[in-house]
Amino acid sequence: MWKQHQRKLLFSLFVLWCHLLLAFQLGDLKPGIDIDLIDILGEGTTLMVCCGWLWLILSSRPSGRVTELLYFGSLLLVYSYFLDLTDEFIQYADHIRLMSWLESFSAPVGMIVLTFGLIGWHQEQRAIDRQLRGRELFLRDHRLIDPLTQLYGHEYLHAVLPRELAMHQSEHKPLSLLVLDIDQFAAFNRQQGIAAGDHFLGQLSELLISQLRYSDVICRYSGDCFVAILPETTEAQASVLAIHLQQHVHHLGKKAEVPTVTLVAMQIQQMSALGALEQAFATLAKAKTAANLQLQPTC
Amino acid sequence: MSHQRVQPKVLLQPHDKMLLLQHGTTDLLALAQRRGASLHKLLSGTGIFEQDLHKPLGRLSHQDWCKLIHNCQQQLSSPEIPFLLGMALLQNNYIALCQSLLFAADLQQAMRQLCQFRHQLCPAFFPVIYQEQHHIVLELKPALSMDGAAGKSGHPPHFMVCMLFALIVDLVKQQLGSSQGLTLQLQHSELSKPRHFSAWLDCEVSLEQPVNALRIHLGIWRQRFSQHHADKYQAARRTCLQLNTIIERRSGLLEQIYRMQRRALPQMLTLEQVATQLGTNSSALRRQLSLQHTSFAKLADEVRQDTARRLLQSAQYSNRQLANRLGYSDEHNFRRAFKRWTGILPSHFRDIF
Repeated sequence: MWKQHQRKLLFSLFVLWCHLLLAFQLGDLKPGIDIDLIDILGEGTTLMVCCGWLWLILSSRPSGRVTELLYFGSLLLVYSYFLDLTDEFIQYADHIRLMSWLESFSAPVGMIVLTFGLIGWHQEQRAIDRQLRGRELFLRDHRLIDPLTQLYGHEYLHAVLPRELAMHQSEHKPLSLLVLDIDQFAAFNRQQGIAAGDHFLGQLSELLISQLRYSDVICRYSGDCFVAILPETTEAQASVLAIHLQQHVHHLGKKAEVPTVTLVAMQIQQMSALGALEQAFATLAKAKTAANLQLQPTC
Repeated sequence: MSHQRVQPKVLLQPHDKMLLLQHGTTDLLALAQRRGASLHKLLSGTGIFEQDLHKPLGRLSHQDWCKLIHNCQQQLSSPEIPFLLGMALLQNNYIALCQSLLFAADLQQAMRQLCQFRHQLCPAFFPVIYQEQHHIVLELKPALSMDGAAGKSGHPPHFMVCMLFALIVDLVKQQLGSSQGLTLQLQHSELSKPRHFSAWLDCEVSLEQPVNALRIHLGIWRQRFSQHHADKYQAARRTCLQLNTIIERRSGLLEQIYRMQRRALPQMLTLEQVATQLGTNSSALRRQLSLQHTSFAKLADEVRQDTARRLLQSAQYSNRQLANRLGYSDEHNFRRAFKRWTGILPSHFRDIF
């Protein structure tokens, strides 16, 4: 922010400094008796508040046309209040009208400029809202977020997947799904307690967020099942991600303390999102039974 | 009708402090807090004080419990909580009832134990148990009215039903290795994605049913529990009995009337008769019922409806026989009533089952 607005800040200081020089050039300091403390207090406060606005605008806005308008508007306001304040200390000869003209000119013009800036800000915010609505559909809703893992729930997945699927198919790009299921999570909860289970879910979701890419959408589909949408990813890439995740889950804790997970990666071939999800879960069930068969001792 | 003098029966009121904080409240608070809910907001309006939470015999009323569940659902959109709470209760060492379930010989003994001491865990429901051809059916009926619109997603009664069923299903899974042989019927209708639901309950669930019921296949009813331990079971049972001296067993008004009417079938008792048996008068009874958001006629209708459905499911009865058993003057009236309850005629209902 400093670098972005350095010039503006320097310019403001420069303007005020020039004015101070001009004032001393034209007028003389008032004798001590004529100085009204209450007036100084009131005008000083107004000036400080206005400086605060200027500061807030500069610190919260990226540079651009709207910011320029807001900045110059509030600079003019600051300038007018600064004039007010200096009037309290310095008196001018009667024939010098420049200072009072400057004062009566800068305040209204500053307010008009500021108003234009605010209108611009309003329009900009509406455009941003529209754009976000397009991106997130109806989905900027905190109720869709699972409070434990801070991931989106299944409603989000069901809303986003069809759209992503349509987009990828129209652009002929691959879209993959990654399904992660915790093995025997109910038994884990029973043995270690629900608190340990909750803790593990938290760890797992953080792992998923940190290890998957920024563009991937991760949802907690149900209690022990996570689904990630991997845009522009082929099945081979998704499988690599799955293996990578599997290894990371192993390192979450000691063997006995952490349940194992089953991961399935699949590129979506179907036309419908529901069909794709169903197939993913069928593949998952198959993988689970296969793992169970492997675990059983050979008779 | 008998004319013996009846003592006014002590019924469970929604504001009676007949539940222990350790029997669920602390577990629910822990679950909710781990999900980011604030304790202060959870307890607001419940009449539960933070300093009481650690007292071994701290109590709360049914009303408080409903309010707490309501607060929890207001703050968190976490549909898994009732299921997790059921599981947490089952494993809770401080609840003698749950300990005794874990050491029971089989599901039959466990269910008998649960029904006998249910007031220690969930006095708001009463079980109706009956046998069908291959199943034992356990229906849960509200013994007290609960605030909130019926059928609305996630309101306290639904929460409690899910919690209790999750407890039983988890018990079976733990003791018998799988939950095969259990089928769940729920009145609830707004579960858009059943998979989400079955992930926690792990058994066959059908929604939008006329009652909340768990159907247990006879094959697992007497199957031996893997952790059965006769001495530990008896010890836990003794603790339950001791606890009875602190938490008296009382039944709710709705439960009382339901049971009286069922016993009275095919005749139905009149409001005056029920009031006399409960040791009160009819206007007081009517007032109490309206306080619980129901009416005498509604309850009588419910008894008939449940009985009709049960009879139709269990054996082949003609409409005339059913009308006789339910105290209808003729079959036409019965058919009309059945259509009103279920939306279909009894003959269609027979075809379905």
